[in-house]
Amino acid sequence: MFEQRTRVDSRRQRAGALAGMLALALLLLARKPVTDLLPAERQTVDTVKPQVCVHTLLENEVEEASILRSLELAREMGASAIVQFFPWAYVERERGRYDWGLTDRIARHAERQGLRIIARLGLMPDWARDGKTETLNHLTEDLFPAFADYAAAFAKHYAGVVDHLIIWNEPNLSFEWGYQPVDAARYVGLLKASYARIKAANPQAVILAGALAPTLEPRGSAMGLSDLEFLQDMYDLGAGSYFDVLAIHSYGFREPPEAEPGRDRLNFRRGELLREIMRANGDGHKPATITESGWNDHPRWAQAVRPPQRTAYTLRAFEFAGRNWDWLENLCLWALRFPADVHSYPDNSTLVSADFLEKPIYFALQDYARGWARSERPWLPPPKAKA
Amino acid sequence: MKRFCRLLRNLTLTLPLALLVAAMIQHYQPPDPAVAFPGGEIAIGVDGSFPPFASDDGGKLRGLDIDLGLALAREIGAPARFLSISYHGLYDSLISGQVDLLISALRIEPARRDDVRYSQPYYDNGLLLASEPGAALDAEALDGQRIAYEYASSADSQIRAWERAGAQIEKLPYELPVHALDALRYGQADGALTDATAFRLYARTQEAWRPGTAYVTQDPYAIAVRRDRAEAWKLVERALSALKDSGELARIIDEWL
Repeated sequence: MFEQRTRVDSRRQRAGALAGMLALALLLLARKPVTDLLPAERQTVDTVKPQVCVHTLLENEVEEASILRSLELAREMGASAIVQFFPWAYVERERGRYDWGLTDRIARHAERQGLRIIARLGLMPDWARDGKTETLNHLTEDLFPAFADYAAAFAKHYAGVVDHLIIWNEPNLSFEWGYQPVDAARYVGLLKASYARIKAANPQAVILAGALAPTLEPRGSAMGLSDLEFLQDMYDLGAGSYFDVLAIHSYGFREPPEAEPGRDRLNFRRGELLREIMRANGDGHKPATITESGWNDHPRWAQAVRPPQRTAYTLRAFEFAGRNWDWLENLCLWALRFPADVHSYPDNSTLVSADFLEKPIYFALQDYARGWARSERPWLPPPKAKA
Repeated sequence: MKRFCRLLRNLTLTLPLALLVAAMIQHYQPPDPAVAFPGGEIAIGVDGSFPPFASDDGGKLRGLDIDLGLALAREIGAPARFLSISYHGLYDSLISGQVDLLISALRIEPARRDDVRYSQPYYDNGLLLASEPGAALDAEALDGQRIAYEYASSADSQIRAWERAGAQIEKLPYELPVHALDALRYGQADGALTDATAFRLYARTQEAWRPGTAYVTQDPYAIAVRRDRAEAWKLVERALSALKDSGELARIIDEWL
């Protein structure tokens, strides 16, 4: 009887173990692996201009192959780093529960391509909005600790893989606060809430602040506030203690990269004015990174240039920055590629079309970054009629 | 009873037919402009900063799209009123009902089709391969040909696509499309690849020069109407067809390009 019970028990145990293993196997099969296409070996970026960096937009890609191809194109162009958005809303869909599936796919592919990742953190989850607002940026002070929780969890999860983190985006625009009035104090509060938490989670983390929109909006405007004034406000409120690197957005619009900067104009060298404010506030020792920059060549946009100018200005911008800005870590162009064409002027800011065709500017940048031969002037002089 | 059955059978056969004929008549009858444009006028949104399609000449809008709008309104039988709107605001002004139509050198955007109906194209700004008269180039056989184009433009992308397909082209990149066309006219290139508008504007300045042309790509411009304004869209389509048939559209295009 005892023997029989033991045999039954043993059979039950074996059946239980088998069922457990089966359940585990099913669970593993059901859970899609983080990546199917990860290259076996880590690639290296072949570049002679390590400042070259590009902003990618991979968070909305459906196909893993598109993520892989985009990052291959960034590496093959000679970019050493990418700026990539890691939306809070995508990771913490349920409060306190982090799902790193999508972000792992991006981060691991970028790492495997040998690209350094500068992560931009933002975008509120649905639960944080609590039905109070339709916008995904309506961050109020009571939610700062929740954002800091996400930022710290991100820093911990990706320690050693993603060590550069940008806190929020263009906080000097009302739109980026869900149409709340612009207020530097609120942004400094967000930095303060996040900084120590991130450092505790990953002591190697480098925290980038600012990413201010280049704008001339005066104080009191419903749209936003001048990036220069906003940065000074940040310093007046003690922001200097809560970031390591200033993130700068500096678009060239219609002016060449060498055009003089000014408080009343927007052009590529606006970063110099932001640098002056950093120095004046005792932060001159900190580096800066341009996390968005470039020119646009859409025929209908008033702020656009022609395609040859876009390419020439972009290359000259890298030359100018390399010669004159020893404080600059990376110059990141907006943008490598959109997941789909938007059929308007933003399409003409990209280096690669939505269907993965490299535009001529991509090849010019590749020649530059990889040190391949290129002529100073890629086009011929105007033809002259023969006498 | 027998007669009633016959009547019922006849009705069963003829009623659907009559309804079908009525529906067809209704379908092919032009909608009433007063119903299609209840404001009593056709409000047309246009970006006045894109000559020669539209430009603001001291407060007065001029250009191909303006003349097309006027001709279209005449054909429909309602007065036109133009509203100058920035390029970025065009679709918002249409969807919010501020304007009835957009005539503003608009490309057909499939992504907008949930909100917008496009007319048949009225102009094609695709890439044109121009070549000297009597030496017409075949876009499928460009090996060894000297092709001039604007550096980094869509023409440049097209030439790179031909190269990827195996063509051995002697590339002549220039800073401006007019330089590429100059190179062709001076005999320094066998062909020039530019968009149709750049070509037509250049050719207008060279009356004696009549190169051969062939479209290589299509980039159609169309009129946009809000999706729920089916009657307005029908009138626009009908009027545009009439302008094409009468040669009026070609005349307007020739006047500006």
